[in-house]
Amino acid sequence: MTLAIAEAWVEKPLRRFVDDARVLFALVLHPNGQVLGQHGFTRAVDVMGACALAAAIHASADHLGREVEGKPFSEMYHAGKERQIFIAPAATPAGPLIVLAVFDGDSSLGLVRLYFEELCTGLRAAAPAPQSAGPVIQENFEHELNRNLAILFGRAPADPARPDPRHPIA
Amino acid sequence: MSSPFAEQLDTLIRQRGVLGCLVVGERDGIIVDANLQVGVDGRAVAALAASLYRRARLSARAAGLGGVRFLQLEAEHGHIWAAGRDELVLVTIAESRAPAGRIRATMLQLAEALT
Repeated sequence: MTLAIAEAWVEKPLRRFVDDARVLFALVLHPNGQVLGQHGFTRAVDVMGACALAAAIHASADHLGREVEGKPFSEMYHAGKERQIFIAPAATPAGPLIVLAVFDGDSSLGLVRLYFEELCTGLRAAAPAPQSAGPVIQENFEHELNRNLAILFGRAPADPARPDPRHPIA
Repeated sequence: MSSPFAEQLDTLIRQRGVLGCLVVGERDGIIVDANLQVGVDGRAVAALAASLYRRARLSARAAGLGGVRFLQLEAEHGHIWAAGRDELVLVTIAESRAPAGRIRATMLQLAEALT
């Protein structure tokens, strides 16, 4: 299974979600597009693109929901010919996150929604306290964005305080 | 306004030991209509039972056995039964004491009307 994480606390709930819901691709990201964990992607550029699009779709739906219904739309679902996509927010003590899942006929919307609820519970339980999570948009946002992608694809150590000599951060 | 399946579900829920019955989309595992006793997690049962039925149907077809008419799952404290037609699945959750034969016959009859 091609699961990669940038934040250790995301691993267990994400791994369980991928196993149980049998999704092809999964992303856990901040609403600003910064990736925390992924399954199924093999290239950093694809993760970057998917995160940017998921964040933009979520932001659009959030505002559209406020316009037409007075509150943000929560879950979004689109069925393609072969694959289906599910995007939904997950509230955690570390702040809101977005989950994107792509699945085919081996799974179903019902299963994905069912295990998404468990994923939310797992993320809520595992997330660090808000004070240790830091601001969502930091001064070095772009550096953080690239750092998480580098961690995901083995080009940087997960903990910058203990640099991996094989993958020094520039 | 009642759904087209309300009467079928009423027939099943009146059987002794039946805890709930649902009409579920086989592909998406989403509830179309349901009649459930308090405490039964319909969404979870719908998603999982539909997935189970779909896989059973694909298994039977792969084995050259044709379509699945009826799926019976015996658990420690009860049963889950499923019968499908036209991408809809009729699912019944029941206690062990439920009259399996009668419910099976009723479900097969009701499943014929699923469209």
